[in-house]
Amino acid sequence: MPITLVNPMNETTHPAAAAPPRLATLAGKTLALVDISKPGGAVFLDRLEGLLRERYAVGRVIRESKPTFTRPAPESLIEKLRGVDAVVEALAD
Amino acid sequence: MLEQGQQSPSIPGGISGSPAVVVFLETDCPTCQLSIPYLNRLAGDEGDGARVIGVSQDSEEATREFVARTAATFQVTLDPDLAISRAWDPVAVPSLFLVDAAGRVIETLIGFDKDGLNAIAARLGLPQVADAYDGAPARKPGCASRHREPAGSAVLSAPVVVHRATAPQAARITLEDGEDAHEYCRRVFGDALPVVPPTVERVERMLRATSLAPESIIARIPPCYGEATVEKIAANAVMAGCAPEMMRVLIPLVRAVCDERFNIHGVQATTHFAAPLVVVNGPVRGELGFACGQNVFSNVARANSTLGRALQLILLNLGGARPDGIDMSALGNPGKFSCCIAENQERSPWEPLHVELGFRPDQSAVTLFAAEPPRGVSEHTAPGARGVLKAITRALATVWSYRACLHYEALVVVGPEHARTIARDGFSKLDARRFLFDHTGIPVRAYDGDGGEGTQLAHLYEQVAIDGEPCYRKFRSLDSIRIVVAGGAAGKFSAVLGSWGAGPRGSQMVTYPV
Repeated sequence: MPITLVNPMNETTHPAAAAPPRLATLAGKTLALVDISKPGGAVFLDRLEGLLRERYAVGRVIRESKPTFTRPAPESLIEKLRGVDAVVEALAD
Repeated sequence: MLEQGQQSPSIPGGISGSPAVVVFLETDCPTCQLSIPYLNRLAGDEGDGARVIGVSQDSEEATREFVARTAATFQVTLDPDLAISRAWDPVAVPSLFLVDAAGRVIETLIGFDKDGLNAIAARLGLPQVADAYDGAPARKPGCASRHREPAGSAVLSAPVVVHRATAPQAARITLEDGEDAHEYCRRVFGDALPVVPPTVERVERMLRATSLAPESIIARIPPCYGEATVEKIAANAVMAGCAPEMMRVLIPLVRAVCDERFNIHGVQATTHFAAPLVVVNGPVRGELGFACGQNVFSNVARANSTLGRALQLILLNLGGARPDGIDMSALGNPGKFSCCIAENQERSPWEPLHVELGFRPDQSAVTLFAAEPPRGVSEHTAPGARGVLKAITRALATVWSYRACLHYEALVVVGPEHARTIARDGFSKLDARRFLFDHTGIPVRAYDGDGGEGTQLAHLYEQVAIDGEPCYRKFRSLDSIRIVVAGGAAGKFSAVLGSWGAGPRGSQMVTYPV
C-alpha cells in the first residue's frame, strides 16, 4: 500500500506585492533613509545622505529609525514612510 | 473621539435598550484581526454575552471576506462613506466603545489590550475573555482610523488577513511505490537529521491526544509567519519522535515561543548564538518522563530530546528560519538540534523556577530563554557558598562579551551538589541571586581605552567596589539572573547560559502553564 504523508512544511501563502518601477532619476525626489538602530548606522546614512544631496540633487530626505533592530519595523514607522519615492534601509555594526 | 459620558450618535441596528460594545475595524489591520476571537468571546458563544456591533471601514466584499476568515460571530455593520466613523471619531482601529442602555459612552479602549478587554467583560458581568497565556501580546497598538487618514491614502490593495482562525488541512503527499519514506523526508523536507516520516496514521494518533481541532491555528511562526495548525504541529511532533502525550506540552510551548516578548523573530534571524532553551517544571516532568538529573543537557531522555527537537522542527518548517538561509547565526548553537531541560526540583533546596515566577507548585510550566550554549563552571574545592558563587560570577562576567554590561541576562543552572553547599550556608535562592548580582562586575582597569565592545557604553555603567576592586556592575538588576537546579547528584559543576539581547528590545524570558 502506498505511504501517505502529512505535509509538515509551511503552506501559508502570502500575496506577493509587485515591486514599484525603478526611479528614472533621483533629482527632486523624496527619499527616506531608515536606520535599523544598529551601532554605526547613522555614520553610514549621514554619508549616504550627503552623497545623495551633492551628486543626485534629491529633493527631500526623511530620516527615520526603527526602535530596535531585533524586531520588524512597527506599523507606525511604515505609516511615516508612505508617500515617499524611495526608501533606503541600512544597517551597520 | 467620543469620550466617557458623551451621548453616542445613532448607528444602524440601534443601541438603545441594552448595553452594547461598538468596535471600529479595518480589514487589513493586524490588530483588528487579532482582536476578533476576544470580541467573539465578549459576544458569547450562543449570544449569551454582550451585544457587540462591529463597524467596518472597508468595502462590503473585503468585510465579508474578513468576517469569514477571522470567524467573527458578531454583527458587523458597513460604513462605506465613513459617516459613522466621523461621528464617533475613533483615533485608531480597533477602537471599542462600551455604551449603556441609554446610549451613553461609559468606557473606551483603543487598540488591543487584554486587561482593558477583561475589565469591560467584568463591567458587563461576563467571564474574562483574554487569557494571559494564549500567546498573544498583552497590548498591541492598532492602525490609524480610515477617516483620519490623508485623502487618497486609503486605497486598498488586496487586504492581507494575517489572523484567520483556521487553515485548510495540510496537503497529503502520497509516495510513489518503492519510494523510501525516510529518504523522501530527507530529500524534500531537508532536515539534517533523519526524521520519523509523518504518515497520516501517525499524525492521527498524535491528534487523538488533543481535543483541539486539527485546523485550528495555534500561532504564526516568525520570521516567515507560517500558520502552525494543530495538525502541522502534530506532523512535526511525529517527525521529532514525540509520544502523543507530548502534545499537551507542545501546544502551550508553541504559543509561548510566539509570545512577542520572547521575540523569536529576532532570535531566529540573529547572527548571534542564541537558541530557545526550554525549561520544564512541575508534575509533568514525572508524568511524561522528563529528565532533570545527570546529562540533563544531553541525550538522556526521550521526552527532553523530542520536545526540544519538535520545537526546532516547527521553527524550521513553519517559521522558515533555515540554517542555510534566514537563520544567519555566524557560528550556530548545538541547541538548535534540541535544547530542553527539566528542573531537578527533588534535589533542589529552593523553590522551583515556575513557583518563583508566580505559578503554584502543583502546576506544570514551560519556560523559554534565548540562550547561548552552556559555559561550564567547575568548583570542587571551595568549602562554602561564597566560594561556589564566586566561581559562578567569573563565568557570568563573560556573558555576551567580557566588558559588555547592562544589556544581557543569564540563566544559572546550579548542579545539586553546588546547590546543597550554597543552601547549607543559609542562602535562599533569592540570597544566591543577590550575591551573584552584587559580586559580578568587570574591573574598571579592563577598560583600557582600546575601544572594544562594551567600552563605548561604559559611561552608562554603575561603578561599584567588589572585594575592594573598582568594577562596573555586569547586570542591570537582580531579575537579570535566574537560577534553576538541574543535573546529576555527583559532580560539583554548574553552568551559566548567557542571553541574547535582553529586555523589551531583545528577548524576554516567558513562562507558560502546561
